[in-house]
Amino acid sequence: MVKRLFVGIFGLVLTAFVLSACSGSGGSDSAAGGENDVEIPEGATEVVMWNLFGGGDAEYMQDIVGKFNESQSEYFVNNVMQEHEEYYTKLLTSIGAGKGPDIGIAHTHVLPELVNQGLVTGLDDIASSVGVKWDEFNQNILDATIYEGVHYAVPIDTHAQIMYINNKLVGDAGLLNDDGSVKMEQTPEGYVDFFTTLKDNLPEGKIPFAFSSSGNDPYWLWWGYYTQLGGRGILTEDSLENPKYDIDLDKAVQAANFLKDLYHDKEIIPLNISDFYAEFQSENAATMTSGVWATGIWETTEGLDFTPMPIPNVFGEKGAWASSHTLVLPYYQDANQEVQKGALEFMKFVADNGAMWAQAGHIPAKDSVVESEEFQELPYRNEYAEVASYVNFVDRNIYARGVEEIVVRHLDTVWAGDATAEEAFAAIETEVKKLIGE
Amino acid sequence: MNKKSWIQDMKAIPFLLPFFVAYMIFTILPIFKGLEMSLYDWTLVRKMEFVGLDNYKDMFVDPHFWRTLWNTTLFVILTTPTMVLLALGLALLANINSKLQTFFRGSFFLPSILSVSVISFLAIFMLQPYSGFVNTVLHSIGIDAEPFWMADKTLAWVSIVVVTLWWTVGFNMVLFLASLQDIPEQLYEASEIDGATRWEQFRHITLPQLIPIGRVILLLQILASYKVFAQILLITGGGPGGATRPLIQYIYEVGFTQNNLGYAATMSYALFFILLVLSIIQLRSQRSEER
Repeated sequence: MVKRLFVGIFGLVLTAFVLSACSGSGGSDSAAGGENDVEIPEGATEVVMWNLFGGGDAEYMQDIVGKFNESQSEYFVNNVMQEHEEYYTKLLTSIGAGKGPDIGIAHTHVLPELVNQGLVTGLDDIASSVGVKWDEFNQNILDATIYEGVHYAVPIDTHAQIMYINNKLVGDAGLLNDDGSVKMEQTPEGYVDFFTTLKDNLPEGKIPFAFSSSGNDPYWLWWGYYTQLGGRGILTEDSLENPKYDIDLDKAVQAANFLKDLYHDKEIIPLNISDFYAEFQSENAATMTSGVWATGIWETTEGLDFTPMPIPNVFGEKGAWASSHTLVLPYYQDANQEVQKGALEFMKFVADNGAMWAQAGHIPAKDSVVESEEFQELPYRNEYAEVASYVNFVDRNIYARGVEEIVVRHLDTVWAGDATAEEAFAAIETEVKKLIGE
Repeated sequence: MNKKSWIQDMKAIPFLLPFFVAYMIFTILPIFKGLEMSLYDWTLVRKMEFVGLDNYKDMFVDPHFWRTLWNTTLFVILTTPTMVLLALGLALLANINSKLQTFFRGSFFLPSILSVSVISFLAIFMLQPYSGFVNTVLHSIGIDAEPFWMADKTLAWVSIVVVTLWWTVGFNMVLFLASLQDIPEQLYEASEIDGATRWEQFRHITLPQLIPIGRVILLLQILASYKVFAQILLITGGGPGGATRPLIQYIYEVGFTQNNLGYAATMSYALFFILLVLSIIQLRSQRSEER
């Protein structure tokens, strides 16, 4: 009897084990993507927004939402935080199932996918009814949101990769000019010289350049060098759905080798730092490179004396990686027009109050905001606001997320010293071509 | 069948029904849905076109499928035997009558109750270079090295295996422990009278009595290890450069970042098939031995 019971239980457990094999991970701790527990003021229409901000910028967005909700009583924006890593998976599937938010946040590189899948609504009609003035936006950013003449998103910022220096450490190493700029010749050799000198003159244990050696950050820096060398992109931009593989191999390899040497040959960037933000924040690193969103974090760090600056343009052309946050209106067959109107009112509000968003570090998407006194008075932002005019967004196509995953994975092998740049790009070519069906 | 027992059986239905319905909706139905998906070009949002067995053909020539399947298999090979031996060793230790018995049982089992995100965070905290616990200890005893526990191809595997063992060994230990306590005391007493040494007792009484549960653990372990995903994703992200990327991570990436659920479902079926075959082989061999 006991044995039969045991066999029975065992059989059940076994079946469950085998069957759930195809359902993916065992023991996933999926966070419920429910609404926030907030009280909707009486008479106000609720507009649910999902946001993906996880870094220092989340609280600034919450401030803007709070200000919007106070500024009028017709709509109430319910700002729901989502986990950054899984944000797009969740957004795509939930809109597809008709259960997504009323406002979504999307990076420009994901827009083609959203537009192509019919997941977002064209904004023109509603936008004109609430008075969005498209000509006030930075054209470079705005272009990334227009598909076949239709506006699909309200851009709210440009966020470029920039460099931060610790004034004290770099100054003590004798590498600051009187005006606070760095003593660096804008050539590849000058760039390397700067860091080698810095390394030699830093106190024991201090890091010349705190940076990640895997993942997105080095990919973005590679992209910056690649575009500075005159590289344009990875895929052609003639078609969203059927682009062709179009990398400038020599430049891609040269850019990758340049960065690889900073890790290995020159030993300027220590490998595998687990938290390079923390190294800079605790004044253990003289410089670091990250997105502009870090500005807000450094600013609120007591005693940290820092300066942001564009990534040095050392290869001739001006270039840096950047993306842009935009607000989109998910498509639903039975969309509530009142909610949609509220959504657009909010989008307009965010763009108009770009100076508030700029406190997080981002460069406002509206030229009128960049020129405004409010923005001009913010410290630091001016140092890098010009970057927005020359940054290079990644290629516009529906495969952007897939291409990024492939390129990052192979570049990681270069930074780790496990593959040459040539090998990595050969593998990237094979995989990307397979992805785009070339 | 008489009427009474028929009524008895009917009585069971309302008790079984809730689970049965949930099981059908959340397990059986998705299995068939997955099979349908694998025959289509299917994105995250909608069904595109019927492609027949194309996804399956692609799978056989996809180097990443084979590479990640090998990574997963390597994980199974590395963890399964060590897991069984370690669980047995710890169970024996926790079965010894001593003042430390409760402490052993508690501390060996404790990690099992933690979630994968917690153990991964702990692992990163312990293993990170420059400031991690392990490397700091190495430095403090005079070893001037900076091993990259999570970023070196070989060490990354060592880390994942050790962390997984630490995390999951407790459950298997409890299974062994329960089985150890089920061994009748008379067997030991009788053997003692016959003059058996401790080793002979272990070799001829304890071990044979543990074989059935050992099989269960072996099978469960193989199945669980083939599904490895979360701790690798969280600790190494499948890196460096895909060196530790398991099959399920690849399935996940194909499905959710490359937006190709059809092909992801195909590979899930391949994994399902592998697990099914392994289970059948093991159950068969068990049955033939029992005969």
